[in-house]
Amino acid sequence: MNLEKVAFGFFIVLAMTLNFGFFIGDIGNPEYHHAYELYAAIVVNLIATVLKFGDRTQIGAIHLSTSLVADLQLIAAAVIWAAFGGEQMTTSTMVSIVSLSGGAFLANVTSVILLIIETIMLRR
Amino acid sequence: MNSIFFLILRRLRAPLITLIVSYGIAVFGFTLMPGLDAEGRPWHMSIFEAFYVISYTATTIGFGEIPYAFSQDQRLWMTFSIYLTVISWFYAIGKIIALAQDPALRQAITVARFSRAVQGLHERFYIVCGYGETGSLLVGALDSKGIRVVTLDIDQERINELELQDYQAPVPGLCADAKLPDILLQAGIKHPQCGGIAALTNDDHVNLAVAVAVKLISPELPVLCRAEHTETAANMASFGTDNIINPYELFGEHLAMEIHSLGTYLLHEWLTGVPGTTLPSPTPPPVGNWIVCGYGRFGKAVVKNLELEGASIRIIEAQPELTGCENYILGSGTEARTLIEAGIENAVGIVAGTDNDINNLSIAMTALELKPDLFVVIRKNRRFNSPLFRQFNADITMQLSDIIAHECLAHLISPMLAQFLHLARSQSNAWANQLISRLVEVVGENVPETWGAYLNEERAPAVMSMFAQGKTVHLELLTKDPSNREKRLYIVPLLLIRGNQSMLLPELDTVLEADDRILFCGTQTARAAHPLLVLNQKVLTYVQEGVEVPDSLVWRWLVARRQKRA
Repeated sequence: MNLEKVAFGFFIVLAMTLNFGFFIGDIGNPEYHHAYELYAAIVVNLIATVLKFGDRTQIGAIHLSTSLVADLQLIAAAVIWAAFGGEQMTTSTMVSIVSLSGGAFLANVTSVILLIIETIMLRR
Repeated sequence: MNSIFFLILRRLRAPLITLIVSYGIAVFGFTLMPGLDAEGRPWHMSIFEAFYVISYTATTIGFGEIPYAFSQDQRLWMTFSIYLTVISWFYAIGKIIALAQDPALRQAITVARFSRAVQGLHERFYIVCGYGETGSLLVGALDSKGIRVVTLDIDQERINELELQDYQAPVPGLCADAKLPDILLQAGIKHPQCGGIAALTNDDHVNLAVAVAVKLISPELPVLCRAEHTETAANMASFGTDNIINPYELFGEHLAMEIHSLGTYLLHEWLTGVPGTTLPSPTPPPVGNWIVCGYGRFGKAVVKNLELEGASIRIIEAQPELTGCENYILGSGTEARTLIEAGIENAVGIVAGTDNDINNLSIAMTALELKPDLFVVIRKNRRFNSPLFRQFNADITMQLSDIIAHECLAHLISPMLAQFLHLARSQSNAWANQLISRLVEVVGENVPETWGAYLNEERAPAVMSMFAQGKTVHLELLTKDPSNREKRLYIVPLLLIRGNQSMLLPELDTVLEADDRILFCGTQTARAAHPLLVLNQKVLTYVQEGVEVPDSLVWRWLVARRQKRA
């Protein structure tokens, strides 16, 4: 067992699960989507991205790009929240925040699938 | 370049994660701390506000307590956050700066830059391994002939020197071990425009390694190698190194050539010289009793060639057991006693050939004291001693680097020139003298340009189309001035190669054929004008027939009509 692999897998899966937790629930209702969950998802996603730095293989490159996509979408969601959220939060703002995080969730799923493929290919 | 980017990312992993985690904790904590707004109501920071506050705090900008004055709890957390995030920032910045100074990264950047410079070369270039005395001389000569060069050297100082030199075109240089095939690949041995490689380091093993690597990786590429030991030379020859240059042997041969045919020697020196320099006029060494001081590799080559010319030789050697010398006089030759013992009274010449410049000068000066009309051949080892040797002004000053550079130039610039010189050596001295006077008449006293013309579709389409029209082309045509057919270019054809035949100094009325190769020698202007003749059909037709061929469709039609009417 390799501690580096554990940390790597942990952060990638955690990024996906946190993202999922934020995404799930009525898309237009702010009560189903907590800001801290989005915050945690962003932080964990950033860490996962940095962990993917420096891998020169083809699969490493795809890994990094999926993470970058997830970061981009989540940060976009956070920016919208910061700009139009708060007191005057409307349903349409919430919908765009959650749908952005939904996109990020897809990217995170891809990332986890890649992780699984990599693990299966290793066979040890 | 790609690999450098990944290297940076990999190195920055730890600081970046530290930064993200510390920000994460600080921002999260801030949102939890209870505060009071302007009216004294309980208030919590939003995540965005917390991120904003932490951002300006962590970077030590410090705008103050925004948007409301902080509560005690918030100040407590702020104190903690300051230490946490500012320290992480400094750690990250320190890492980034350390990375920028990291020797491995710098090396990677230098190699990448060098490799890109080589890939960006779109004209013919040569690789010179070893930028020492010989290498720098060769690079300078090639550069002054307008040929691009790429250099490798193991010593960073020499590469620094290269960067300070004022060359016409930039010379990409890399401090690296030429023995490594990877480095040779970076230097462009597989580059389509690479014209050849010269391994001129002072280490025979490195030169050998370069030759082996190049012959394996790109067998077509011409390789010139310097080899000071006969075993290395034999080894190199065994796998087809194109030209092996043994500077000592070469000097011996030149010395012999100077004795028995000065003209050929002069021709050789002249044609392989750096363009624009003038030709010295040496006196031929006399034949008789010679004294040779130092029986090393240099001494041996000199002795061999002098003996061939019929001179009788006394050797002075300080370490006979090292050099395997028999029949010697023990001593270094710097004292008058040894020289007298060697019979300097009856000698006609002396060779000061040790590997120590000061000793050589001392030998020569002592010898001249004893016998002022002695012919002095002196070996110069280090270029920085040049002023001393210039002051001394021996009859022949031999410098290894000059000899090697001359030889390399001959081979690199045009393989035909090397062939010509080889043929010229078997000609008589009178022939050479005659040729020199003819060349001086045409091109002047300065070192002329030499270049080859290949009559094929690619290099000489104009001439080929003449052939296709069934016209006979005389060699004379290629010596005319493209701007005025009444005039001649300052040009002399030296050699014509047709299949396996080679004609020295072909006559101007020689009828040319396809796939002929001709070696020309002429002034710089002539060389510049010459491509017009062989490439441009219109120019060639004008020179041949004195008729301007009409270019455009309309004019061609008009001319055809007029001819029909006439």
